[in-house]
Amino acid sequence: MMSMEVVLALFVLMLSLVLAGVSFIAYKKSHLRPALYLLVAFLLLAIKKGVELLQLTQRIEKDVGLVIGGLEVIFLLLFVLALWRR
Amino acid sequence: MERRNEILNLITKKPGITFRGLARELGIGIGDLQYHLRKLEKEGAVFSRKIGKRRYIFPKGFEEEAQRLIIAISTESRRRILLLLMNGPLSQKEISEALGLSQPTVSYHVGELQKLGIITAEGRGRSVIYSLNYDPETIARIIMEYRPSVWEGLADSLIDFLSGVGDGE
Repeated sequence: MMSMEVVLALFVLMLSLVLAGVSFIAYKKSHLRPALYLLVAFLLLAIKKGVELLQLTQRIEKDVGLVIGGLEVIFLLLFVLALWRR
Repeated sequence: MERRNEILNLITKKPGITFRGLARELGIGIGDLQYHLRKLEKEGAVFSRKIGKRRYIFPKGFEEEAQRLIIAISTESRRRILLLLMNGPLSQKEISEALGLSQPTVSYHVGELQKLGIITAEGRGRSVIYSLNYDPETIARIIMEYRPSVWEGLADSLIDFLSGVGDGE
């Protein structure tokens, strides 16, 4: 039986992949650089959720706090970069 | 053979016609049309491009034009701008007001359409007036048949949002 935490993490993972897909289509259509930043940001978010999920299901024993924190920072920086008014 | 020539003539006369449009206008059965189109594509007399959910058919030699048209109508805002400009030349401000889009978003899209050569810009006093520089019938035909997927709709909204935030460079 999956815990609620795992279900939520899976949902976030899927949603990030969907958003990465939408950003990819937007980039393909427009070649807007911010769309590319969002694509990478959502992919990183998906990776981050994937790592968290692996830890939740105890497939990773190591402490991944630093990796998750780093990915969060890069995700937010890319988001700011995408929304930066040039 | 006569049937095939009839199909080819219609595609040449109406570049960007869809499969359904061809079947409707010529009154041909789907199987029959598929057969002749396959032959024409094999011969290199016509080619097709999928845009949104529909496949558009173009005559030989229209490759570059087709690519321009595909890019031009690829987002909802551009389609709306093109349809609006069919009624006559307009300034950026007028387009922005008529479509309820922000000026930076309109500026981005008209810039792209201008680069493609689908519209032209002409300075009149302090404002720039945009007008259509392409066969309106072809544009209208392709836009009217266009059926974007849900994902494309979401991507179009994202493009409008991002082009409204920055200058898109």
